[in-house]
Amino acid sequence: MTSLSPVNPDPAAPAVSTPDPALRPDRPFSRRNLVQTIVGGYLPLLIATLVVFLPLLWMVLSSFKSSGEIVTTDLKILPESLNLENYRTAMTTVPFGQFFLNSTIVTLAGATIKVLLAILTAYALVFVRFPFRNFIFLLILVALMVPPQVSILPNFILIAGIGGKNTLWGIILPGLGTAFGTFLLRQHFRTLPASILESAEMDGAGHWRRLWQIVVPVSVPSIATVALVTIVTEWNDYIWPLIITDRPETMTLPVGLTLLQNSESNAAGWGVLMAGAVLVIVPILIIFAALQRYIVAGLTQGSVTG
Amino acid sequence: MALHLDRRHFLGLAGATASAAALAACGGPSTTGGGQATSQAADIDFSGVKPAAKIDFWSSHPGQSQDVEKSLIDKFHAQNPDITVNLVTAGANYEEIAQKFQTAQAAKSGLPGVVVLSDVWWFRYYTNGSIIPVDSLTKQLDMKMDDFQKSLVDDYKYDGKQWALPYGRSTPLFYYNKDHFAAAGLPDRAPKTWDEFGEWAPKLKASSGAQYAYIYPALAGYAGWTLQNMLWGWGGGWSNEWDITCDSTESVAALQWAQDSIYKDKWAGVSSKEAADDFSAGLTSTTISSTGSLLGILKSAKFNVGVGFLPGGPKAQSNVCPTGGAGLGIPSGITKEEQLAAGTFLKFITQPESTAEFSAATGYMPTRKSADMTAVLAKTPQIKTAMDQLAVTKVQDNARVFLPGADQEMAKAAAKILTQQGDVKSSMTDLKSTLQGIYDRDVKPKLKA
Amino acid sequence: MTRQLAPHPSAKPKRPPGPAAKIPHRRWTARNRRDFFVFLAMALPNLVLIAVFTYRPLISNMYYSTLDWTLGSPTATVVGLANYATFFTSNDAPKVLGTTAVFTVVTVGGSMLLGLLVAVALNGKIRGTTFARSAVFAPYVLSGVGVGLVWLFIFDPGYGVLAWLLRGIGQQSPQWINDPQLSLVMVILVYVWKNLGYCAVVYLAGLQSLPKDVMEAASLDGANGFRRFLSISLPLLSPTTFFLLITTMLSSLQAFDLIRIMTPLGTGTSTLIYEAYLQAFGAYNRAGYSAAISVVLFAILLVITVLQLRFVERKVHYS
Repeated sequence: MTSLSPVNPDPAAPAVSTPDPALRPDRPFSRRNLVQTIVGGYLPLLIATLVVFLPLLWMVLSSFKSSGEIVTTDLKILPESLNLENYRTAMTTVPFGQFFLNSTIVTLAGATIKVLLAILTAYALVFVRFPFRNFIFLLILVALMVPPQVSILPNFILIAGIGGKNTLWGIILPGLGTAFGTFLLRQHFRTLPASILESAEMDGAGHWRRLWQIVVPVSVPSIATVALVTIVTEWNDYIWPLIITDRPETMTLPVGLTLLQNSESNAAGWGVLMAGAVLVIVPILIIFAALQRYIVAGLTQGSVTG
Repeated sequence: MALHLDRRHFLGLAGATASAAALAACGGPSTTGGGQATSQAADIDFSGVKPAAKIDFWSSHPGQSQDVEKSLIDKFHAQNPDITVNLVTAGANYEEIAQKFQTAQAAKSGLPGVVVLSDVWWFRYYTNGSIIPVDSLTKQLDMKMDDFQKSLVDDYKYDGKQWALPYGRSTPLFYYNKDHFAAAGLPDRAPKTWDEFGEWAPKLKASSGAQYAYIYPALAGYAGWTLQNMLWGWGGGWSNEWDITCDSTESVAALQWAQDSIYKDKWAGVSSKEAADDFSAGLTSTTISSTGSLLGILKSAKFNVGVGFLPGGPKAQSNVCPTGGAGLGIPSGITKEEQLAAGTFLKFITQPESTAEFSAATGYMPTRKSADMTAVLAKTPQIKTAMDQLAVTKVQDNARVFLPGADQEMAKAAAKILTQQGDVKSSMTDLKSTLQGIYDRDVKPKLKA
Repeated sequence: MTRQLAPHPSAKPKRPPGPAAKIPHRRWTARNRRDFFVFLAMALPNLVLIAVFTYRPLISNMYYSTLDWTLGSPTATVVGLANYATFFTSNDAPKVLGTTAVFTVVTVGGSMLLGLLVAVALNGKIRGTTFARSAVFAPYVLSGVGVGLVWLFIFDPGYGVLAWLLRGIGQQSPQWINDPQLSLVMVILVYVWKNLGYCAVVYLAGLQSLPKDVMEAASLDGANGFRRFLSISLPLLSPTTFFLLITTMLSSLQAFDLIRIMTPLGTGTSTLIYEAYLQAFGAYNRAGYSAAISVVLFAILLVITVLQLRFVERKVHYS
């Protein structure tokens, strides 16, 4: 029962089981109800949504503005025209297409391997007999506490030493070991009913079959959550790719974005940087918008299906 | 199945830690003796060495110089078909390029042939033994050292050796909006002293409609550099040799005057990002910015731009301008062949024609006396002011250029004074103790007796 | 930076003892031997990777922390615990620990409180909640570098939209960039903006797992709705709150990208993690000293984790 559960372990708390008469809902279309719905329901939602989207909208609008429209004290909200000059500058100053490809490869390869390793390790930790299993889990838990930034220098020395500088595998390799995914999946696997596995064992199914035919199919929401977090982390990872690459051919998007910033003169700076930010932010936003139904539902409803 | 963090587990953890320690130690620095690794003063003998076929050139493209750097490299390739120079953007500014260079040193791999190093970094590379003296290269490649602008090349002399050559070198310039000056009835020139400007500023502010009469350069990165102008004008400084003097009466008076210009007289502000932008946007009537910003300002400003020498102060009216910017160095951790190829490229990129082309594209100063600037000056006469001012520059204070991290500490102290209205004397006393600490800890033990 | 931030979506333990608990210790049988190798085949790759790229650097750091080593220098001097002594006796410790404490407390408190409010709003039975739920979560998945740049532009005292709005009402923009205290405020605001969606979604999961009648109490309708929410729903949400407290605290302590992009020199924002980075890779190049700060940070993170595990154990015992 030591699982790090975000939800109440005891849903049937007696203190609230007696219905409160004051809770009876109003008639659905009464005026009071309508005002309440708007003030208590829509208004906060509207504000929250605006707070999220206005900055991003500003980013998009600014990316179309010429430097004269930005470096001015007489600000206009809308750009004079849909001027793509900033995008052109951003794309010719640095190879954004290449960055995009690199980010995609790094994310896909890194996330796939990480999720796979997490599933295997978590299964082994929960269902396979091994001495010091809990000690190994403790080591994984402690690894979770090591901030990636403190590993930079030693890892740089190692990876550069074996020729990983300016390579995609050099970007991917140090992040492959996954304490986080292992931890989450182990916690989840421990909640699976023992009976289904025992019956499979009776049928003579080995670990491999038990894993892929029973454990994985019933754990899809948890695995999806781990996958999402892994993808997002890989895509946005910054400090390590920044250190291990110095050639545009192997840079990922966030690193490429910093490449846009220049040292002493920034006259046109903001417009081009906003164009660059659009190129980094919008792809993941589109992917998120396409998958949000599954992603957020997975996060919020996992407790029901688990 | 509770997870017990009992003693057995922790002992096990400690055991694992100990056994991995040996593995962990490899790859880091060696700890023999405790002697410090200062660059070898011994010259490297390059006779009989063939230059390498390929080297990297790490640059941060100061002054948006990527295009002109590419063009110079193409010309180099045409003249030296046996050596390929690969231009690498190794950072967005001098600090990032230094970070990359230092990390590469730690990994002992992936070093460039030629690296851009700023005024505050080359000495660190020297004390770390990361760069070689270029004397034997300049001799072997027959580079005319006496044709370099003396003050620019002397900046990289230490211990009787030349550790780098000047590249994107700049001084601060006083930029003013000629239209604002005319409207305020002021003479069409930069003020001779800050006191004179103190009299002009209220008129400027009243008539120009701009938010400020003067804007201090953005503190992050530039405060330590440009504030030397005021400190020197008032007879103070960050330091005198290795004596930290930032809390002297004169230094405090200079910064007090700066603080008053913001909070008491209310005609000055502090830039957040790039004073040159604030100036060309018309946010301020005047500012101080690098000569490297000149071409950018001329391009984007929609008014007549005037440039002049930096104003003096009550104690010193001239020689109150620091030099700055970047030079080029050659790492010690690469082969002789690579170093020779790097030297060949260094010779090319610092020759008079190259420095004139670089200057024309950015506004940085030509580093050679014989550089033919007639065409450049015909197009951008303002560069002349920067070149003339070179005669009245002063060598930067040791505290800024030789103490690691001092520039950042100065920026923080300046932020306290100029944006939080902190007490000048106590801020400077704090700064002094910080700088003294850096000196005692990081620099003094490494200096030659 | 999102590494350990995800909620555990399905950890509601319906059957208390997991299968692992039921396996009694046996002798070294053929099956055990087979399991031994199955375990190694499944777990070893991951464990080796963690050992090489997480533990080895951690231990290297502990070793480096005993050196006076300038980054970039090939040699170093062993100084024992002098780096720790310097950190705790100089001005650095109160400054850095203070900044870390302020940043962590405000970001954790801010994103949890706002997250809870948003979750309650999202929990209402009105149309559009699915969209709003995704919307508030969106910043959490965006690149810290991109987001940092966008907000930096918004806050820019010269040309930012915020400065423009303030000029409209006759005010001057605060010195977000130059003033260390305001820099910290700025980074905190953006950090909360980026992370409150995560808290909201986890809280929402907590709210939706409450029994139906409690959920109605939590919807803030009717008289005394707020009081009822405080006295009934909030205590029931305490496991969620505790989970969020720990995860957001750990990630706040490791916040890096936004600080790096918005305040590269750490003006006012040098938390432990950023100070460690600056000392080694910034202008100082004190690799040994930086390693010592890293170890201090690691110790703090470890203590929080241990406390959390202890707390969870005790709580479960008593309930």
